[in-house]
Amino acid sequence: MKKESLLQKLFMLYLPISTILIFLLFPFYWTFITSIKPEEELYGPTVTYWPENMTFDSYRKLFGEFNFLQPMFNSFLVATITTLVTLTVSVLAAYAFTRFDFKGKQLFMGLFLTNNMFPHVLLLIPLFAIMRSVNLLYTPTSLVVAYATFTIPFSVWMLTGYLKDLPSSLEEAALIDGANRAKAFIKVILPVLMPSIIATGVYIFIQSWNEYTFAVLFTNEDTRTIPVTLKNLIGQLGVQWDLLTAGGIITIIPVCIMFFFAQKKLIEGMTSGSVKG
Amino acid sequence: MKKLLLLFIMLWCGAALLGCTAAQNSSDQDEENEQPTENEAENEGENEEEASDDSEGATITYWYWADNSEYSQLMQDIIAEFNETNDKGITVVGEEYPWDGGGYSETLFTAAVGGGGPDVASFKLTSTPLFTANDLLVNLDDFINNWEDKDEIDENLYNVMKKASGTDSIYVMPWNTQILYVYYRPSIFEEAGVEVPTTYEEFLTAIEKTTMDTDGDGTTDVYGFGMRGATGGHEPWGSFIHGRGGSFDELDSEASIKGMQDFIDIYENGYVPPTATTDGFNEIIANFKSGKTAMTIHHTGSSAEMVETFGDDVSAFAFPAGEGQWTSMGDTENVIFESTEHKEAAFEWVSYLATGKGQEDWTIATGNVPVSKTVQQLDHFQNNKFMKASIDGMPYAGIIPIKDTTTEWISTIWPNTTSAALLGDQSAEEAMQTLQEALHEE
Amino acid sequence: MQKKRFNIWPYLLISPALLIVTFVVFLPVLEAIFMSFQNYDLRRPDKIAYIGFQNFAEMFADPIFWLAFKNTVIWVVFGVGLQFFFGFILALLLNQKFIGRGLVRSVSLIPWATPGVLIGLMWKWIYDGNYGVLNDLLMKVGLVDQPIMFLSQTSTAFGSVIVTIIWQGIPFFAIMILAGLQGISQEMYEAADIDGATKLQKLFRITIPSLKNVIFITILLRVIWVANSVDIIHNITGGGPSYSTQTLSVYIFNKANVLDLGYSSSMALFLMFMLAVVAVPYLKNSFKEGTK
Repeated sequence: MKKESLLQKLFMLYLPISTILIFLLFPFYWTFITSIKPEEELYGPTVTYWPENMTFDSYRKLFGEFNFLQPMFNSFLVATITTLVTLTVSVLAAYAFTRFDFKGKQLFMGLFLTNNMFPHVLLLIPLFAIMRSVNLLYTPTSLVVAYATFTIPFSVWMLTGYLKDLPSSLEEAALIDGANRAKAFIKVILPVLMPSIIATGVYIFIQSWNEYTFAVLFTNEDTRTIPVTLKNLIGQLGVQWDLLTAGGIITIIPVCIMFFFAQKKLIEGMTSGSVKG
Repeated sequence: MKKLLLLFIMLWCGAALLGCTAAQNSSDQDEENEQPTENEAENEGENEEEASDDSEGATITYWYWADNSEYSQLMQDIIAEFNETNDKGITVVGEEYPWDGGGYSETLFTAAVGGGGPDVASFKLTSTPLFTANDLLVNLDDFINNWEDKDEIDENLYNVMKKASGTDSIYVMPWNTQILYVYYRPSIFEEAGVEVPTTYEEFLTAIEKTTMDTDGDGTTDVYGFGMRGATGGHEPWGSFIHGRGGSFDELDSEASIKGMQDFIDIYENGYVPPTATTDGFNEIIANFKSGKTAMTIHHTGSSAEMVETFGDDVSAFAFPAGEGQWTSMGDTENVIFESTEHKEAAFEWVSYLATGKGQEDWTIATGNVPVSKTVQQLDHFQNNKFMKASIDGMPYAGIIPIKDTTTEWISTIWPNTTSAALLGDQSAEEAMQTLQEALHEE
Repeated sequence: MQKKRFNIWPYLLISPALLIVTFVVFLPVLEAIFMSFQNYDLRRPDKIAYIGFQNFAEMFADPIFWLAFKNTVIWVVFGVGLQFFFGFILALLLNQKFIGRGLVRSVSLIPWATPGVLIGLMWKWIYDGNYGVLNDLLMKVGLVDQPIMFLSQTSTAFGSVIVTIIWQGIPFFAIMILAGLQGISQEMYEAADIDGATKLQKLFRITIPSLKNVIFITILLRVIWVANSVDIIHNITGGGPSYSTQTLSVYIFNKANVLDLGYSSSMALFLMFMLAVVAVPYLKNSFKEGTK
């Protein structure tokens, strides 16, 4: 391993990463600034990059009068269950798709894909009727089912991709050693696949955490999720910038904290130590 | 192999368990939310002879949207008060839904068509044809004819409701209206040396004159008018069309095209902010409140914040007459769904909002124009300059023809066609042709 | 290593996934196919009848449809292309060792974790012609002396929303590729080091080939996702001004919203067909070497 010079590191690492980060994070910074600006300053003649009069009123209002915790809890519940359900069924399916050869494989893979090509908006009326007929309307379960429908095909495909890129030598070795498929899967594949499972899980979680179209139809006051609550803040008489942006910040932060812990697992593949770029 | 099979069986059990929980949840849900249905089922036997008694102890779900979080609280307060004070033991359960730039109506429709909608919901008149064509709404004729407060509401308003359904029946219950007028800044008028316009021509001149470069740097600092080019802009725009003698029925007439040309000229001459093609409610209000525009068109719903921002330096006049005169009457109503099991109780609630305490509380707090004559007489409404501009506009206030094409026309066709005309991609004539055909398509 | 006799296991393994998916989507899709051959307009429920291919004929004669189609192609090509480009770079960078990389990794997720409602509003606010921070920055730097009406003119509106979708999608690619990078065996790099390979050679000879499937699949899934995405455009411009930012998915959405479901379904089927055309080579490719 060669030691890289500081200059090299600056141009190959720090500079590009800061550029991308600025692009990615500026809107977030701006959201935060907006949430602590009083309204006069928002539409003032000059744009201020740090509020002259800071106020945290919106955050207090959100948790005080607004009971933002309820939708947060609902969102968390729905997103977590969706993630667990989706990952379980998708890992199995992906394993089948990569390690077995069977009739109709291509057809099933294609079927999963077309599912994601279909615009959600056309599903609303029939799906609403289905949910009603199986008595799931206005329960968190209805959202889990609706979301799983879209996250499963995605996850199956993603995991299939990862599994294919995994060197199959490991598993074969285990099989030759006399382990059965289940054992080989749990002992060998699962640990190696963990980073990919985490990444897919992040996708599923975020997707269900932020979904609006189904959420507005399949929930009521008790089961509302965050995106619907946020959208309630935009009426005919304009946007409540303070509450909306504060709500946005509060929505984003838990996801980031969770990911902060998850990302350690993300790079802890069994085969890889540190990968040089 | 056995272990794998075991794992599999466990998974299926897990799935089954999940299914059971779901079923459990939903049956709980049934008890809580679909109480009306269940009550009704139980009571069916007893109630057959005395159907009118079904409001006794009924629970009705009410969907509404709130234009801001204070209104949301206000509605919950009104509901709480109704639940306490009504003598029939009716319980209203309020469920707030996002306005979503009008998406509210689609959500409501999807739910109602799918059989899971509310008993009562707040409503926009423009959606009436869609809902009545699918037989979703209760015909209110009998309820209103037998209603003690019937004459509290102006006959004209009932006619508007009838016309919207395209029948002789009333399906929507009036709640409150908003009449558009022109906000202006007296200080800017003084600086530009213009008087409050009394004719349409003077109004156009005032727009031109109040467009000013106040600091002399060669760029416009104050625009004469805050034009709304995004969705919803057809309302103020309609006043321009009528100002030249045009009308919604003949958008391709010479007079209507002339009105459109005025609209385009104002934009091209730079009398409105260059963002006008995409400015919506938010932007026109923000521009007015920050002093960027001298005039803009809106209703009493925004008057409280205007006064908060400017104190005395904001006033209003009704849209002046040209060859014709028209201003848009906005509206919010309530409807009862055919699927409800408690029509009587539902009517109790909507009438409470139309003429009862609910009317007074709501209109005073929101600044909307009441539909109840008694409430209109209250001092609060008589001594307010913005309310006065609204009431001045009342005689010629109207609504855009409500057809089944109207919603699409408002939400996509008008904004896109008008922005094409403003940006010079289309002539006034072409644009008006498109607008005429789209609105009156059979 | 597979025996050729019938094996029940793969079917059992995919059955739970298949069950959930078909339960929800099968009927609606079937319904959409039927609707596309009817003038299924719920605004006029009495007139609904089978009309053959009339919806499709109308669609192909509709200039707004063709504009939307053209926009969709641009939207997908630039949107997904640049998301992938920057996402890939970000993944490589995040895979290196530096102080605070855990933190950097988790904050890079922010655009993706932002609710669609807020993305639309915030970017609209940033682009705003009167109070927008982007104009303020550009003017401070001296790049422009008059604010640009990013969203209010047809020349810049579409580019602006594309930048937003790029912004939102970069973390997706970064995370997905970062996960894929962990599966690459270290030995290959070590062997390359011994051969004296340069960084660039290692990238093109080892990293990219090893990630082939992941790259293929992420791009394919993202193309489908972006082609179908509505909320960013809907919340920023609603498709305007003058239809300049209206993609097929937004057009479908708008038509479905006014309950013209027949026309909307026809366009949806067309979009699905186009996506299938893109996907088939992928499908074929991924099964060629799928069975080892």
